[in-house]
Amino acid sequence: MKKKYKLLIIDDDENILAVLSKYLRGKKYAVATASNGLEAIKLFESEGKDFDFIITDLVMPYITGVGVISIVKQKRPEIPIIAITGWGEHPEALATESQADLVLKKPFELSELDNLISNLLSKNNNNDT
Amino acid sequence: MSIPLPIIGVSQAIKSIKELIKHVADTALNIVITGESGVGKEVVAQNLYFNSNRKNKPFIKINCAALPDGLLESELFGYERGAFTGADQRKKGKFKLAHKGVLFLDEIGDMTLSLQSKLLHVLQSGEFSPLGSEKDIKTDAWIIAATNHNLEQAVKNGKFREDLYYRLNIIKFYITPLRDRPEDIPPLIEYYIEKYSNHFNTDKLLKPSKKVMDSLLAYHWPGNVRELQNVLKRVIILKDWEEVVNELNSSILPTSLAVKQSDESSIISDLLDPGSLETKGLESLSLKIIKKKALGRIEKEVISYVLGKTGWNRSKACKILKISYKTLLYKITDLKLEPPSNLKRKLS
Ligand SMILES: Nc1ncnc2c1ncn2[C@@H]1O[C@H](COP(=O)(O)OP(=O)(O)O)[C@@H](O)[C@H]1O
Repeated sequence: MKKKYKLLIIDDDENILAVLSKYLRGKKYAVATASNGLEAIKLFESEGKDFDFIITDLVMPYITGVGVISIVKQKRPEIPIIAITGWGEHPEALATESQADLVLKKPFELSELDNLISNLLSKNNNNDT
Repeated sequence: MSIPLPIIGVSQAIKSIKELIKHVADTALNIVITGESGVGKEVVAQNLYFNSNRKNKPFIKINCAALPDGLLESELFGYERGAFTGADQRKKGKFKLAHKGVLFLDEIGDMTLSLQSKLLHVLQSGEFSPLGSEKDIKTDAWIIAATNHNLEQAVKNGKFREDLYYRLNIIKFYITPLRDRPEDIPPLIEYYIEKYSNHFNTDKLLKPSKKVMDSLLAYHWPGNVRELQNVLKRVIILKDWEEVVNELNSSILPTSLAVKQSDESSIISDLLDPGSLETKGLESLSLKIIKKKALGRIEKEVISYVLGKTGWNRSKACKILKISYKTLLYKITDLKLEPPSNLKRKLS
């Protein structure tokens, strides 16, 4: 049976959180959400072992996406992360440096996101075995 | 710095700040703390440091607004002997001193664009080289920066480099002005009255009346917690809440109470010098002496500020101050003003 992967989506824009989580739940993922970096880190500290994948916005209050990625990768370097950047923002270089596995620019197609997640997850599993 | 100063407050803003400190203190990720003068940016930086695994390493502070560009650069990166005229000894830069510890860059928003690019380069490469040196030195300093400017705005206006902004702002603290979290005022009053009463060995002060407390809660605190501290020191001298609060509201209070200054340097703390109080008692504080002290203090601050801004160019400084060259020289001696040590050799 196909394993149900657990994703953590982090964005301070509620609408985006709602759209992404609805779509990805429909794709049979378990989804947890956080509306800022601090909330995300707290979730990660309590349930971090469970998450298989993280999708994060970059520009957020308190702990930015770049901060989240660095903290998560310090603890679990193998977990795949997609960073999402908004219009007119330029922290992509930083995100790459902070070891996001992929940087996705808004606007993007939801199916594109789905493909990227599947690819990263299967790549990760091949590495594991 | 041996003990961390407590962060007092019961507001949601302060609670979030304390929580954020706990979660990020061990990450060594770059941090920017913003907020008006006197809100507690430096206290937050110190608490981050004390809660981190770097607490046994140095905490090095540098104020980026206080020095002209060239000096700031040599303070940050240091220089080799002979790097420029007057560099007759090598000097370790703050980046070197802060290795494995914390480098607290206060007033980062006032840094010039040219130094900003140099700083960015160090943050990108993790290396710096002292002036006059060919060698690159690795640095592992945890950068905590603070500013009372709106950096987003500064980026839009081209005053602050966007790439540096993103590199520094990995974790963001914003401390709200005291006027927007009045619920923190009573616990702050309690804490500081207790602290100052112990320190100055005065009798326990009566609690402020409801009316006094209401005025304190309604006041707009342009100098934030630092101003509140100064007000409380004044209450301790005058032993009269009403009078101090009346002064505050009619704003005949010396503006120096509100402006940015460290508690050690305020006039009030000069007046409250515990040694002289113990020996002579409060009666010794005649208005004449206070006036003279206050004037001298303000003169000294203004003159040294202007000298600082002109890189101790005395002929420029006296033009700005609109006094004669001779008067300036006299004031420099009389007020015991001294150029920063790295300028001294160049001037003499
Ligand atoms: N929440 C707080 N609790 C206790 N003391 C505070 C608090 N915030 C500020 N202070 C005190 O107020 C003074 C000014 O704070 P500081 O950190 O120097 O402000 P800033 O760096 O923002 O100008 C310091 O003496 C500091 O200890």
